[in-house]
Amino acid sequence: MMATPVPTADLPNKITVRNLDFFYGDHRALKDVTIGLPTNRVTAFIGPSGCGKSTLLRVLNRMYDLYPKQRAEGEVLLDGENILDPRVDLNLLRARVGMVFQKPTPFPMSIYDNIAFGIRLYEKLSKSALNQRVEDALRGAALWDEVKDKLHMSGLGLSGGQQQRLCIARSVAIQPEVILFDEPCSALDPISTAKVEELIDELSERYTIAIVTHNMQQAVRVSDYTAFMYLGELVEFGETDAVFANPREKRTQDYITGRFG
Amino acid sequence: MSLYYKRRNVNATATMLCWGAAIFSLSWLVMILGALVFEGAKGLSLDVFTQNTPPPGSAGGLLNAMAGSLIMTVMGVVVGAPLGMLAGTYMAEYGRHSKLTVVIRFINDILLSAPSIVIGLFVYTVLVARMGHFSAVAGVAALSILVIPIVLRTTEDMLLLLPGSLREAASALGLPRSYLIQRVAYRAAKSGLVTGLLLAVARVSGETAPLLFTSLNNQFWSLDLNAPMASLPVVIFQFALSPYKDWQQLAWTGALLVTATVLVLSIIARALSRQRTYK
Repeated sequence: MMATPVPTADLPNKITVRNLDFFYGDHRALKDVTIGLPTNRVTAFIGPSGCGKSTLLRVLNRMYDLYPKQRAEGEVLLDGENILDPRVDLNLLRARVGMVFQKPTPFPMSIYDNIAFGIRLYEKLSKSALNQRVEDALRGAALWDEVKDKLHMSGLGLSGGQQQRLCIARSVAIQPEVILFDEPCSALDPISTAKVEELIDELSERYTIAIVTHNMQQAVRVSDYTAFMYLGELVEFGETDAVFANPREKRTQDYITGRFG
Repeated sequence: MSLYYKRRNVNATATMLCWGAAIFSLSWLVMILGALVFEGAKGLSLDVFTQNTPPPGSAGGLLNAMAGSLIMTVMGVVVGAPLGMLAGTYMAEYGRHSKLTVVIRFINDILLSAPSIVIGLFVYTVLVARMGHFSAVAGVAALSILVIPIVLRTTEDMLLLLPGSLREAASALGLPRSYLIQRVAYRAAKSGLVTGLLLAVARVSGETAPLLFTSLNNQFWSLDLNAPMASLPVVIFQFALSPYKDWQQLAWTGALLVTATVLVLSIIARALSRQRTYK
């Protein structure tokens, strides 16, 4: 119960979370969480609703800062720098740590602008260089072939699965170092889900990825490491195969065998 | 089974009553519009659009009143709408959780429902009495005070309607707040914001009371903002109450013009709000 799982990865960690507590007002949603996300690997967070896995994800890019009365205590090191430090520039942090949400959220603008928008914010590129970056991002998100002839149509006109890949392309386009996925497939059909999962696999060659999912098969399919959380605590963390084949904790076993959750 | 039939009868009766109520209330609107079109169309002629308001007994039109209405409405909206939009933006985007927002919203609701004659009187004491004369400027001031709460309210409502996920998605890209608002939020809420603006124009263009105390009226062609200025509602008010047949006719025609304008603006507003793309 009190044993705090220590990062098991022998790889260097892109993000190291130490003794993290998180509060929604008075409610303590994360309890002394310590974990490391290995560089260029996919780490999945699983656990029943309300266990704090999304909360943890939202600490990693300080998304919670948009809301009052939410605060984090502890340390979250991104390449050794504590991002919970109030002096951290949030916009720069979020440019380094991208996020893809549960529901696709294309901006009300053309497909092209959805991608170019974020790039223009940080870099001054020539038209052709920008076009290239947009194309690369869309190719990277396996969307290019479907949209190359309608780049100037509204992003809202795409299907749900396409919209989600557009959002992934948008995150990739600004060349982040880490991408956080918050249940990215829960609003998608199985075919779109398969495409997004494939994509996550490809992206992990270049990015450090954290994914929250309710779907345990998905965790098995896409992740290298899995963290099981329960009631705000990190119960178990390890290589995905090991966690699912031989969970050390009874609670993990109960959850992955569907006995609760 | 008898319970079911009873329920079905109650349902039929209630539906009939709803229909009756709808037809009853609509019939008044139709009668008003009918009377307006019938009486107003009789006076429609080129003169209405090319001549100024006449003295009793001679021919004339509504040119100066239309020009005055147009000038004061446009200026009132130009002054009031940005203020309302900025305040609404503050409330929805920056001050969403602050006490100030609650206070502003409360005061704004009062302003929104304040009788427009009170606003006319206020501007009268603050501007007209001090300047010593009625003027178009005072009219513009009164109208802009009417515009602010309408635009503020729609701006805040429309921005609050945007899904939080859109804001989070924009922030997740590292967009600064100001970018988020200008490039994403305004864009997503565009048709709603335009609708609010048009409704404000429609509301203000028919206001009489605030202008009676501020811009008053002017029998002649005048574009001087520092002088009294004619406007359709005030001309209608004055002419309709007069004993002269030709003045009364012009009042009908003016009323038709105002109503038609408001109707067109409302239809545009409805059309725009229906094509909302972002939910």
